[in-house]
Amino acid sequence: MTGPLLELDRVTKRFGRVVIAEDLSLAVGPGQVVGIVGPNGAGKTSLFGLISGDLAPGAGEIRFAGRTVTRLDAAARCKLGVGRTYQVPRPFGDMTVFENLLIAAQQGGGLRRRASYAAAVEALDRTGISGQANVPAERLGLLQRKRLELARALATQPTLLLLDEVAGGLTDPEVAQLVEIVRDVNAAGTAVIWIEHVVRALTPVVSRLICLAGGKFVGDGDPATVLAEPAVREVFLGTEVTAALAGGSLEAGSEVKGDGAVGGERSNP
Amino acid sequence: MSLVSETTARPAAGFRVARSRRNVAWTGAAALIVVVVLAFFPYIVYSGTTTIVVQAFIVLTMASMWNLLAGYAGLVSVGQQAFVGLGAYFVLILALHGISPFAVLPVAAIGCGVVALPLWWLVSRLRSGYFAIATWVLAATIMLIIEKFSSIGGGTGMPLPGLAGLSPALLTAYTYWAGLAVTVVALAAVYLLLRGRLGLVLTAIRDDEVAARSSGARVGLARLLVFVVAGAGCGAAGALLAISQLQVQPGAVFSVQWTAEMAFVTIIGGLGTIEGPILGTAVYMVLQQTLASYNAWYLIILGLVAIAVALFARRGLWGLVDEHLHVRLFPVGYWLRRDGERPRGLRRPAKPREQRPG
Repeated sequence: MTGPLLELDRVTKRFGRVVIAEDLSLAVGPGQVVGIVGPNGAGKTSLFGLISGDLAPGAGEIRFAGRTVTRLDAAARCKLGVGRTYQVPRPFGDMTVFENLLIAAQQGGGLRRRASYAAAVEALDRTGISGQANVPAERLGLLQRKRLELARALATQPTLLLLDEVAGGLTDPEVAQLVEIVRDVNAAGTAVIWIEHVVRALTPVVSRLICLAGGKFVGDGDPATVLAEPAVREVFLGTEVTAALAGGSLEAGSEVKGDGAVGGERSNP
Repeated sequence: MSLVSETTARPAAGFRVARSRRNVAWTGAAALIVVVVLAFFPYIVYSGTTTIVVQAFIVLTMASMWNLLAGYAGLVSVGQQAFVGLGAYFVLILALHGISPFAVLPVAAIGCGVVALPLWWLVSRLRSGYFAIATWVLAATIMLIIEKFSSIGGGTGMPLPGLAGLSPALLTAYTYWAGLAVTVVALAAVYLLLRGRLGLVLTAIRDDEVAARSSGARVGLARLLVFVVAGAGCGAAGALLAISQLQVQPGAVFSVQWTAEMAFVTIIGGLGTIEGPILGTAVYMVLQQTLASYNAWYLIILGLVAIAVALFARRGLWGLVDEHLHVRLFPVGYWLRRDGERPRGLRRPAKPREQRPG
């Protein structure tokens, strides 16, 4: 495919008077890794909802892999190759971890029985939750639920992976592992759009950073350039961070919160 | 119902996927023996007993269908009596045209499945309480429409023709065997449905509909299929009801009491398990036969049982059995075993603790 993998063309979504996406246009190429940052309530997760089909846009058009998917539901888009995670993990609690992955491989990935087993096992191994394969998902702790969320998205065999704050609450070594997983997935040709407050997780892998605020893009481009843009600093980071950025501490590994605070060590709430 | 293992050879790491944690071949053999023994019942027990067992067959078939709806597809219907009544009227109308009621049984089931399609269109966009009330309204509407036709008995109903030529003993036996056949087919259909790819989809929908959609599950299609199957199953139960009672009265066959029975049996037995309605039916029939003469007390005791199960056995009576004995008569899950890994014990895995450095 020569054109963009994902295209948003003047997409708008409102809930009453609240604008969550205003005239958004975006193109993501195959194999590209894009990071999205923005304060709480900026419309980041809603943007994922629009891309994955959980939300229907009020206006505009969404194209994926060369076809218009604006009116397709989430299941149809998943089958086309859009895999997503949720910020708050949504496991199928009564099913085992392995079964959670099987349904994703069979329904989203369109794999037949034996191929789906292999895909589920691969996703288990990739995300390091093989030991919990036969454990009911409702018994998992938060961190393992996050891994399951990622594993389930991978099991759908996506060509575009939408990661919604998967690094939140992880320790530094866990973030490093996660970055390796994303690199690994991307190396196999999967494009990734990654919403994250933990900027140190994004910077090693993203080639492009987008800043979203109030349902609009206020910055888009090379991560260092975007983070240095005055508009991004003003809307997203706040004055304290501007000072930190000037000292170069953000690139060294910081968490950027929506309220403008920066955590130098860990992202744990 | 034997253990099905599927081995997939992978160069890096081998694994095996079984459908149960333990070998359950014996449950298949036991089920077969139970069916054969039940088939011989008309020769070895009094006709009064077979009549009671037919009632149990009707309740079990209906409860299995309600369990499929509420326990798997997340559709709490209060209008399944619509299909019970329609099944009974399919039998009556075709019997009035000279067709044997027993021959009509499969026709009634298929007919109710077909009727379920337009009814689904009417209620498919509704959820939870709205869905429940809409299905109840539909059932009441269908009854009111049917009562308008005096040729099939109007509001008072009419006796079922076509069975007068059979001796009472033979009629009882035929009715019993028809009931056994309907129940076995209904349970087999539910088992096969849940054992296939759709089983995972339905469980996922029940757990989290949004996540199921974004994992590629066609939620609407799965729910439609379940609604149609449940309609067909309840239709077959209604047809059996007409044959066993030898008359069809709209107030009786369209009574909401049927759905109350389905729900009671499923909830005390264990919602969301195939075994639950079977155990629930057994408990319900025992209570009914031992306490029915106590009138009001019978209903009070049924209510107390429901409250006790809700408080002390949230997953139903079968949930207790599963928790302590780890038995699944109808294994529909998937169990992963890696090569070189010792089979896990039968203890439920303990809830893992969060382990975080620092």
